Amino acid sequence: MLGVILFHLLYLAERTIAFDHPPVTNIFEILTVLAFSVAVAYAFIERRSRAKETGYFILNISFLFQLGSSLFIKDLLEVPEVLRSSLFGLHVSSALLGYSAMTISAVYGFLYLMLYHEIKANKFGVIYQKLPNLETLERMSFIAIAMAFVLLTVAIVMGFIWLPKAFTDFSYGDPKLIGTLLIWGLYGIGIIAKKSGGWKGRKVMILSICGFVFSVFSMTIINMFFSGFHRFQ
Amino acid sequence: MNLVCIGISHHTAPLELRERLWFSNDEIRATLPVLKSAGFDECVLFSTCNRTELYAFSDEDNGRSEFLKRFLLDRKSVQGHVSPSHLFSHFSVAAAEHLFRVAAGIDSMITGDVQILAQIKSGLNLATESGTAGFFMNKLFQGAFHVGKRSRSETHVSEGAISVSYAAVELAQRIFDDLSTKNALVIGAGDTAQLTAKHLKSKGIGHLYITNRTQDRAENLANMLGGIVIPFETYCDNLSTIDIILSSVNSDRYILGRADIEKINKGRNRSALFVIDIGVPRNVDPAAKDLENVFLYDLDSLNGMVNENIGKRAGEIPKINSIIAEELTALDRWHSSLQANPTIIALTEHLERIRKDEIEKNVHRFEEKDRDLLELVTKRIVNKILHTPIVNLKNGHDESPSERTHRINTVRKIFGLDFGQSDKKERSNAG
Repeated sequence: MLGVILFHLLYLAERTIAFDHPPVTNIFEILTVLAFSVAVAYAFIERRSRAKETGYFILNISFLFQLGSSLFIKDLLEVPEVLRSSLFGLHVSSALLGYSAMTISAVYGFLYLMLYHEIKANKFGVIYQKLPNLETLERMSFIAIAMAFVLLTVAIVMGFIWLPKAFTDFSYGDPKLIGTLLIWGLYGIGIIAKKSGGWKGRKVMILSICGFVFSVFSMTIINMFFSGFHRFQ
Repeated sequence: MNLVCIGISHHTAPLELRERLWFSNDEIRATLPVLKSAGFDECVLFSTCNRTELYAFSDEDNGRSEFLKRFLLDRKSVQGHVSPSHLFSHFSVAAAEHLFRVAAGIDSMITGDVQILAQIKSGLNLATESGTAGFFMNKLFQGAFHVGKRSRSETHVSEGAISVSYAAVELAQRIFDDLSTKNALVIGAGDTAQLTAKHLKSKGIGHLYITNRTQDRAENLANMLGGIVIPFETYCDNLSTIDIILSSVNSDRYILGRADIEKINKGRNRSALFVIDIGVPRNVDPAAKDLENVFLYDLDSLNGMVNENIGKRAGEIPKINSIIAEELTALDRWHSSLQANPTIIALTEHLERIRKDEIEKNVHRFEEKDRDLLELVTKRIVNKILHTPIVNLKNGHDESPSERTHRINTVRKIFGLDFGQSDKKERSNAG
């Protein structure tokens, strides 16, 4: 897997050099970065948790993202000058990596709930046989959340440094900025609650999925119904 | 192949008869040379708690099975208790097939038994030590080990707990990550509770607390497993540090109600609590099953899990039969190759191939008019080389079949004619 990640990194670097902009300027470039991010986030979580049974569930997401990108990606030479900045690349990459970790955390939450209900209901099917135990799934989900939080923090800090310089119409009232801060805050509260309040088990997993669903909905709504300097298309 | 297998197992005799025919390692070491001197060049004998089996390679007909049956009974002096009718016998390919079935674990009392392969290996080692396992038995038993390994790696025949006690521990491992950081409380000291506690201990459970109405029994169990005894009257006070509760006491009412479990769970921050209730009547209120992060299992649910696993294991038998058929075919091909005629043909073809290859490579060095002569001379050389080996392969009627096949096998190995080897090469090349 490490080999594939290195090849993918090489591909992204090559695209950046060849087209003179980070490959995050349209949806299909973003898809390949997302495929890369999911794989990197998973590799990190697998290394930390030493559980290898869930790769199938996570890496399939990565495969689908890359498939979509490979089928439709176009070579863009002309992009707005603002998108050629390396700070922009770092800002978007860390945000995408963070959202990937968040997605992985939700997948683990979902797998946890499936296994939880199988054990409770005396069903011992494929889920029971193939997945790691409940505690491991919970730990993996938490590692993913912590990773998402750290990366979103980096993305937000980068954004605060780069956005005011890059856009004359920069505003702290930008919906995407507020939405991201809200998601970041919610995950932060979740982490503190788990660490200091000792939240455990099924309810925490449900909250993790809710957090992810909230993030997806809020970002979708913001992108569809609000306009601002923070949109590049 | 002149292979005979004699044995006793749970299919043919009850335990009280099987245990009379059980051979210790020392008894096996003493028995094998006697068999060898009786004309069985190669023989392997092994005993497990469910079977005693003797495999012998003999140059005589199948009538010798009766001799071997009587020999085993005499050796253990069990005439009058165990009769020859309690022993089974298989011959030739059927004997090899039986060994393969045993090695695969599908002839065992518990389908998918994993212990049997080690016990067969120990039998072969004893025979090797005693000088009664030659190249034939080695080949046969290697085939059996191959079947055993393939059955475990290519099928699910050995997966899933098949006893209530092990099913409980398997479930604990599906809930908890590291049992060494967890504590278990055993309430009662019945057989199943003891066995489950033993399994938990073998999986490295952190602390094992034991409580029982009769303090002595709790102390005995604690001494045996390295547990800590808690007085029965006060065990409820210590439940907040417990992750696994195993209850197995005789009580006409629930000793742990839903409210008790809820209180325990609150006290431990609602971390997962695994409750195994194997008491009859039940010791724990089944309504506790609905509580968040409480996993309550009673005897029926554990039995259901065991039955499901037994069914799954049985469902793997057709796959194992295919593996056995493949390995039997390979053994049969190897054995057939040990006859003189196939070996002579293979050797002749081998040398002829070398001759033709060399002529093809060097023919351009000779003039057109000399090429017929080249053909003639090289054929003569090959025929002369082959003459003595062929004569020697055809002779040897004064040898035992074991010696003859050993000699043929040596020729095949020296010239690289071994079917088994070439098969393996082909398979690895294809892979």
